[in-house]
Amino acid sequence: MKTFKMKNGGVVQLADKNKMEEWPIELPLLFIEYIKDKLLDSYGSAKKEVEKYLDEILKEVAIPRLISVLEGEDNEEIVLALTRIEEISKKNAEMAKPISKYLDDLLKRNNKQIVKLAKKISGNFAKAERKKELAKKRNVMRDKEKLFLEGKINGEEYAKARLEYLTLKE
Amino acid sequence: MAKKQISKEFNLQAMRKLFLEYIERGKVKSDIILPPDTVKIDNLNRKETLHRLYKLVDDVLEKIYKSGRPSIELPSRSGTNIIWDEENDLLLLGTQIVEKQFHTLTSVADITRLMRVLEVVNELLNEDIHATKREVFYTDVNLFLEQKNSDKSIEDVASMLYTTRNSTHVVAAPKGTCVGRLRIRDKSDIIDLEGLGSGGWTISPMLDNIDIIESDAEFILVIEKDAAMMRLAEARFWRKYPCILLTAQGVGNVAVRMFLKRLSKELTLPVFALVDADPYGMYIYSVYLRGSKRLSYESPFLATPNIKLLGLLTRDLDKYKIPQEVRIPMTAQDIKRSKELLQEGYVLKNKEWADDIRLSLKLKIKAEIQSLSAHGFQFLTDEYLPEKLTTGDWIG
Repeated sequence: MKTFKMKNGGVVQLADKNKMEEWPIELPLLFIEYIKDKLLDSYGSAKKEVEKYLDEILKEVAIPRLISVLEGEDNEEIVLALTRIEEISKKNAEMAKPISKYLDDLLKRNNKQIVKLAKKISGNFAKAERKKELAKKRNVMRDKEKLFLEGKINGEEYAKARLEYLTLKE
Repeated sequence: MAKKQISKEFNLQAMRKLFLEYIERGKVKSDIILPPDTVKIDNLNRKETLHRLYKLVDDVLEKIYKSGRPSIELPSRSGTNIIWDEENDLLLLGTQIVEKQFHTLTSVADITRLMRVLEVVNELLNEDIHATKREVFYTDVNLFLEQKNSDKSIEDVASMLYTTRNSTHVVAAPKGTCVGRLRIRDKSDIIDLEGLGSGGWTISPMLDNIDIIESDAEFILVIEKDAAMMRLAEARFWRKYPCILLTAQGVGNVAVRMFLKRLSKELTLPVFALVDADPYGMYIYSVYLRGSKRLSYESPFLATPNIKLLGLLTRDLDKYKIPQEVRIPMTAQDIKRSKELLQEGYVLKNKEWADDIRLSLKLKIKAEIQSLSAHGFQFLTDEYLPEKLTTGDWIG
């Protein structure tokens, strides 16, 4: 177990990343998501250190293991892995992002289930990307509004920015 | 009428000190170096167990080809071959070997049952499934006649393969429960033992599918009785005092003891036992502490040598003013068993434990954990346990 000490004297112990090599292929990713969603906020002063450890697990264990499956020929295993990745990409696209470069290849596979899941994951990535874009534009829009009210930009420039924002929102 | 509770604050400092010592050291007293005159048993995965099984069958075949009179050798599990290892405080199997001939009338039934169990184990391992001892008995009722015969063959097969019974995929029926600050995985499912209500998680005998994935507990409390477990679970004891609670409803079966051992070893947590202050409670504690005679070959995987006897101690009865009317007079059988316990080397080695048993014999009194509720139903959770964990009032 990997031990994290908190300033209040408490201790949190998480499974060792080496042990995760023996786990079912999708489990390390589920583990990371589980800890982030349900427990991380309760870790107090150890939160940052645990976050760093979870990132290590993601980079060193979870993603490489998934990739080894996606690059293989066992369709049953690929479907199992993609089902979990789809669930994760819906909730947290960033976490599943490292597999995006394999999607083109998966979409060309001769297996309906694999193609269907790959499409869904692609869709979830696109949705997440649009959300990110929108958040960026919203900030730009707020600045433009401020400048417009202060008379530093004209109506035409403001209307152009507003149109861009609304188009993206729709 | 329920007694009025005085709300006290306890910081569990003695327990915390022990816990931090374990964490600093990085391990508890559980990595065992076996003495040279004892049998070494390995906890194997499915492939490794299959490999040993094939090797054993190959050896039998070779004997058939060479002499036409095959036999099987296995460690003797008789009382004379059970050794108390004082250093590790464990009951272990010595190096005496028994040979079972295929061609003698005395051992033919025995060896046929043994080979039948080997066949079942082979099937279980190949299919990667598990069966209970009862199911194994029902695979051939005419051959086994009684379950005690199939149980004996199952244990013989495990010792013959120099592995644990769980490694053969023959498991006990689920019995114990666990609840508290612990997250585990069962194959691909993540189970939160805080979120299962007061009933808790039934300890799976298929421990090869289980992994500990997260815990912020600081100690483990092993409870003899369901009633006491229910009291602690209802009070959500682990929320105020970060811990894992575990009960086996009596003597822990293989799965419970193996799971406890893993919790203690992997999480490096102090372990405390809460049992009745009677000879049976002391026996339950001793089985967790150093293993049982019947399964002595598995002791290194089943015993938790760092377990402390937290309560109920005979000396607690006066200290906590337990009323006379809830103390129970010892029977002749209790007195006999207590005297027998005092003959055991592992009891005599622990002066405090021996003194407490002597005190019970002097007073001729025993008491159940429930006797504490004479001071109110919450006395156990709000005062007795927290105070003992704060002051370090335990044995071991």
